[in-house]
Amino acid sequence: MSDVPVLEVSGLSVDYVLDRGNVRAVDDVSFTLNRGEFLGIVGESGCGKSTLLFAVAQLLAPPASVASGSVTFEGTNLVGLTDSQLSAIRWRDMSVVMQSAMNALNPVKSIGAQFKDVMKAHGKPARDEIEARSAEVLRMVGIDPVHLRSYPHQLSGGMRQRSMIAMALLFTPDLVIMDEPTSALDVVAQRSLMAQIKGLQLAFGFAVIFVTHDMSLISHFSDRLMVMYAGQVDELGATRTVFDRPLHPYTQGLLEAFPSIRGPKVPLRGIPGNPPDMARLPPGCRFGPRCPHAVDKCAQVAPELVELDEVMVRCVRRQDGSLPVSADHKGAGQEGSLSR
Amino acid sequence: MAMPVFGVPTETAAARVPDLGSGHAFARVARAIRSNRKATVGTVLLVLFILIALFPGVIAHESPTQDAYAPQLGISTAHLLGTNHFGQDLFSQLVWGTRNVMIIAFVVGLATTGLAVLIGVAAAYLGGLWDSSLNVFTDVLLVIPLFPLLIVIAAYAHGGTTLVLIAAITLTSWSYTARQLRSQALTLRNRDFLEAARVRGERRLYIIVVEVIPTMISLIVASFLTNALYAVLLASSLQFIGLGDPNTVSWGTTLYWAQNNAALQTGEPLWAIAPGACIAVLGAAFALLNYAFDEIGNPALRPVRKNRRPGVRRAGA
Amino acid sequence: MTGSTSTELLRAEHLTRHFKIGGVLSRLMLHAVDDVSFSIGEREIVALAGESGSGKSTIARVLARIYKPTSGEIYFEGKPVSQLRSRSDRLRYSGLVPMVFQDPFGSVNPVFRVQHGVLRSLKLHRPSLSGPERAAEAARVFEAVGLSADMLQRFPHELSGGQRQRVGFAQALAMRPKLILADEPVSMLDVSIRIGLLNLMAELRDTTGVSVLYITHDIASARYVADRLIVMYAGQIAETGPIDEVLASPRHPYTQLLLSAVPDPRAPLSAAAKTDRGEPPKVIDPSPGCRFRYRCPLAIDTCAQVTPVLAELRPGHDAACHIAQADANQVRAFS
Repeated sequence: MSDVPVLEVSGLSVDYVLDRGNVRAVDDVSFTLNRGEFLGIVGESGCGKSTLLFAVAQLLAPPASVASGSVTFEGTNLVGLTDSQLSAIRWRDMSVVMQSAMNALNPVKSIGAQFKDVMKAHGKPARDEIEARSAEVLRMVGIDPVHLRSYPHQLSGGMRQRSMIAMALLFTPDLVIMDEPTSALDVVAQRSLMAQIKGLQLAFGFAVIFVTHDMSLISHFSDRLMVMYAGQVDELGATRTVFDRPLHPYTQGLLEAFPSIRGPKVPLRGIPGNPPDMARLPPGCRFGPRCPHAVDKCAQVAPELVELDEVMVRCVRRQDGSLPVSADHKGAGQEGSLSR
Repeated sequence: MAMPVFGVPTETAAARVPDLGSGHAFARVARAIRSNRKATVGTVLLVLFILIALFPGVIAHESPTQDAYAPQLGISTAHLLGTNHFGQDLFSQLVWGTRNVMIIAFVVGLATTGLAVLIGVAAAYLGGLWDSSLNVFTDVLLVIPLFPLLIVIAAYAHGGTTLVLIAAITLTSWSYTARQLRSQALTLRNRDFLEAARVRGERRLYIIVVEVIPTMISLIVASFLTNALYAVLLASSLQFIGLGDPNTVSWGTTLYWAQNNAALQTGEPLWAIAPGACIAVLGAAFALLNYAFDEIGNPALRPVRKNRRPGVRRAGA
Repeated sequence: MTGSTSTELLRAEHLTRHFKIGGVLSRLMLHAVDDVSFSIGEREIVALAGESGSGKSTIARVLARIYKPTSGEIYFEGKPVSQLRSRSDRLRYSGLVPMVFQDPFGSVNPVFRVQHGVLRSLKLHRPSLSGPERAAEAARVFEAVGLSADMLQRFPHELSGGQRQRVGFAQALAMRPKLILADEPVSMLDVSIRIGLLNLMAELRDTTGVSVLYITHDIASARYVADRLIVMYAGQIAETGPIDEVLASPRHPYTQLLLSAVPDPRAPLSAAAKTDRGEPPKVIDPSPGCRFRYRCPLAIDTCAQVTPVLAELRPGHDAACHIAQADANQVRAFS
């Protein structure tokens, strides 16, 4: 991995302009992505992770718009560029894989035709080059190139998703952004697809931003993990570190909400309550109302994202030391069950 | 058979439903009308027309039919739109004619939509042979050209009264809406809450009337507005070509008489233009309401306002 | 501890359900469920696990009488369900065996307040209650599922996904059921909310004695909440037994594959699941033989010729695999 970051997001905020006022869906998010790095963004519904992704890819549509901050991709700030300026970067250097292939693929065109469209839109005019490259990317994801002639509905769910990834790799970009590409798949297909993605990433050296709600899925594949809640980054650090020693109570809660397949059985609690209404945020810490460790200070002071032991965390009690790590460390070892 | 989608995380509820807040249906509709400009204008116009239709004597004191005045008078305070060739007060005619037009609009609108709901939704929900036979019936009527059929019916009814007009228009208009409603009902058929109702043991008629139709209200209201609008246009057209009862007071018949007496050529332009303008304004009222209901029901169609925060510059650079 | 000694509540015997697919002239039959037999006892949670196309949702709908079985029979409290003719008999059954659906946004009618479904359930199934009694019962049922009584007056869009799913359980509970068919009730909910619903199911089993058929594709959640496990593949049962035992020593290669594919941050990745690229087949007019043989590294000739039957390998623990039935210790397909 070279030292020059491939992506630098700084103070990015995204607002939804609504009749009743603006709602900030992404609040002051900053992170850096180095070449070849795999960043996992984890969060539940309404946390802003998809909006963040769209903002980075410059795909925001009204009523959403970037309110402040910058997205610097290989030295160029993407915010404020026109569509024609962006198209030079799109797909060649940065590509996107969407959540549902069935929605993203054109149902009336064959896979090969869609690959051709993409290639023609971004260069590579020669017909035999197009065919050769299309066959090559399909082989890369483990699909027989004969399927270039297939239509999306003729392929299985896993194959459709893999052809989306192949399409994203047509120009071997430096950054591939993925929005929950495995959500619609069964667990076995999910596993093989993740392994595939990781293998391709290691072989070709592109960076990946992978958004998901499934923390355990990402645990083996990402280098760093970013946990989002209510539009903010609550924790950001090396994956293993975050898993073994989660600092933010939300991260802990999330980890504890996954019942395990092995080990002893213990009742789990999950995280009671619901994420806040983004138009009516609670005072102070946004996770406060649901946090098992909340004290008065948490409702008075809005915590900042601060580095603590190589991990960025947004929690007053961790930062002032009133919640020492060893006192409650459960980490990723909590098992659970309720059968009799 | 519904295939489950695995592990797709939920979006917050607010993203899927228009933000009208809580409360009873009427309160929400009132709020919606006030917040949307098109709805407000359309409602105001429609209410105005309804009031005029209900209480014509309040505004127009003169009789519409008596040719009691001096002919071809211009605009004056006594005769707001002047008088026509026969000495009738034009303004009175239009005001009194509103009643006929509104009756046609509402009765046809209700009857057409009612028929369409009955047949369209039943066909979708009952499926099978019911669906097929009702479809054939609907399609046959759909294919027959509307206006010629109307002319034939009206002509056979010997210069139709308003009732004949209403019946003829209803008969020829319901099939299009029935098709639309059937399509929407089909998409609803496999929704879980309908299966839940079935599994709970509800009877089929109950499910259609209580569970399905209320969720189609916005399309049904839109259909009503469209059908009312077309009823006005069709009825006026029929009256204009003489197939209505020329002795009824209505905008279309006024146009008929204007045409017959070459109003435009003989320097009585108001006689021809005023009724046309009324038809246009009423039509606009219905159309505005239609757009407004669309926007209320589907937030994605609402006009996008620019970012209102002052001092927010495009970031970076 | 397990369900094997409890009273039998429901028994499915050789349940089969086929769907005709293709155009009007086609004769193709989709074998959604083929020859499935199992039982559910009182006061137990049975997990029915499998991937897409396994037939688990179809089984739920057959049990709920949304579909009629192509062949086979369901016995509820000892009596065959196909014999239910009168409206009152069928109504009674639907009250005793209600269903909870997967999609929290689609399972409640958006036009009515959330109490609508509960009140209708009460009206239909407990007609002896008066109006005020129904209202009181609705409040009681809401509180039993963890919702406050004042939520009765809310509209569905004012509730979160987890709360709506609880409404679904409330609708089922209002009918005083014996067996709740829960079709992937937590799949579409956020992870932190799922545990709450799973805890609710266990609590209902413990306090009201209701049984639950928990249909899921997530084995980990099944382990958390269920007493017994039925694993389905391509319309047939692959393995069944007490959940701890099946997960500790899975006998069917498919169960092993499933287990190895479940992401567990604490354990290193298994190599086998990484390489399996197969997906569950759409079973159209299948030939005899084991349907898993195309993906099974242990498949032998018999597997292609003879369809394996579910046979007991250990008390209460059955598997449908020729190799496992010959010698269970030989089944080490996916570690």
